[in-house]
Amino acid sequence: MKSRSAQSVHSGKTRKQNLSLLLFALPALIVYALFKLYPAFSGIFYAMTDWNGIDKNWSFIGLQNFIRVLDDSYFWQSILFTFKYVLVMIITTNVIALTLAVTIETRRHARGVFRTVFYLPNMISMVIGGYMWMFIFTKVLYYLADNYNGFSFLDHMWIGDPQYSFVAIIIVATWGAVGYLMIIYMAALQGVPESMKEAALLDGANAWQRFWKVEFPMIRHAVTICVFWTLNSAFQVFDVIFTLTGGGPGRATQSAALNIYEEAFRGNIQYGYATAKSTVLFVIVLVITAVQLSIMKRKEEEL
Amino acid sequence: MKKRSAISAGIYVFLILCALFTLAPLVLALINSFKSNGEIFTNVISLPKHITFENYIRSFEKMHYLRSLGNTIFLAGGSVALIVLFSSLAGWKLCRTKTRFSRFLLSLFIFSMLIPFSSIMIPLYKVVLVLKIKNSLFGLCFVYAGLGVSMAIFLYHGFVKGIPKELEEAAAIDGCSTLQTFFKIVFPMLKPVTATICITNVLWIWNDFLLPLIILSDNKKYTLLLSTNTLFGQYSSDWSAILSALVIAALPVIVFYALLQKQILKGITDGAMKG
Repeated sequence: MKSRSAQSVHSGKTRKQNLSLLLFALPALIVYALFKLYPAFSGIFYAMTDWNGIDKNWSFIGLQNFIRVLDDSYFWQSILFTFKYVLVMIITTNVIALTLAVTIETRRHARGVFRTVFYLPNMISMVIGGYMWMFIFTKVLYYLADNYNGFSFLDHMWIGDPQYSFVAIIIVATWGAVGYLMIIYMAALQGVPESMKEAALLDGANAWQRFWKVEFPMIRHAVTICVFWTLNSAFQVFDVIFTLTGGGPGRATQSAALNIYEEAFRGNIQYGYATAKSTVLFVIVLVITAVQLSIMKRKEEEL
Repeated sequence: MKKRSAISAGIYVFLILCALFTLAPLVLALINSFKSNGEIFTNVISLPKHITFENYIRSFEKMHYLRSLGNTIFLAGGSVALIVLFSSLAGWKLCRTKTRFSRFLLSLFIFSMLIPFSSIMIPLYKVVLVLKIKNSLFGLCFVYAGLGVSMAIFLYHGFVKGIPKELEEAAAIDGCSTLQTFFKIVFPMLKPVTATICITNVLWIWNDFLLPLIILSDNKKYTLLLSTNTLFGQYSSDWSAILSALVIAALPVIVFYALLQKQILKGITDGAMKG
């Protein structure tokens, strides 16, 4: 009897705690449910309708949209483009950011200045940065190629030729992302104990060995964070492509996000179908993120 | 010793070249924004012959600069205020309550952080239509709050773990209500993480393009980025107008960066390392 009443007192206390928690979490919970949870789950439902956004009469068409997605070569082309973009971005941004972080950290002078300058592009929206680069690709590079012999290799259709427009997009996106990763790598490098570096120095290790044998294993966690971040943000790439090429020429540089945006908000509006596409994109991103995290976690633990 | 200083000099040269590359788009936009279109056509890399502010006056009017800036400030400020208020209340209580329900609620808030925005944007647009907040900056603040609370709650929750409970208990014994305890005792202690959350979210919302692009179609409600984008669409070959517009559109964040550089870099690092 005694233990039972204790239990009911206990559960009454729990209920009271939960109620108070619910009250405090309620404002956050309402906006979160309305603008994130509900859209995420209702998307799966809309994906099974032929709803076009305006028409009040829409019907449930089951998996038809998903079957159509499988057949949509433009969509898969955009997914393929996104994969290519993500892969190249992971390598360029992380290699450059780590190189900058290491070289700046080993300098004695002007560290703050370099850090400030390299982070600056991250402050500016990729819409503004994209248009500034557009000026360079369509005006400045031609000018240099025409007027200086040494720069004739710059004479390309940077925005009009699909091959070069991919390079242009990578340059601009890398320019805009490197600073952020560099800041994370610098913070991680500062966390490596000075005594370990000195010990390696005394053992006669050169700078290259010191970095790979001593520092790199210590910043593995930062590498995981940075690769994860690049993967996640690169999969959603929109602004830089929207401003630079608009997905063109044709659909040569269309990313998955841009493809979905065009399907939903430009020309023939097909919300149901576009939602099916975005559901497919979500599943792809989820699987890749899960795989990447588990691999990198295992690698971290091995050390 | 000689070899070493040569390497060191080489590294400085490398860093300086990288810095020039990083600054090139900004510097080129700035110097050409003072030229006429004719002068841009003849030489894009020289300094302007005469400094003219005519371009700036034109783009300032065309993009309704002050209105766009005001809209952007309202949007970023309002959204961040909501995010901070909602998430600190929730994050603190989630950390202090140790029940199965609290664990469930926390994972409910956190699990969605991986959902890409483009996957939810169409149903979200539908919600916005139903709630009749399309073209409403005030409504958009709440949308940003909904998208931003996950990360902020996660950060607040982590931070509260590290602060002692005793002060709160003492306040409760002294007769403070839970809300009073929160605002008088807890919230001031959360200041470092609140700063981090403010900085990362202001920058996110200030530079966000896709969400305003689909929600705001009335040009009176346009943010700086939407106005810049429209200007580019209208004057795609008029570089003197566009470049001056880009410079004034980038100016507020550059000023913000110049003033609060230390706090921003610290906030970014803290946000990233815990995220």
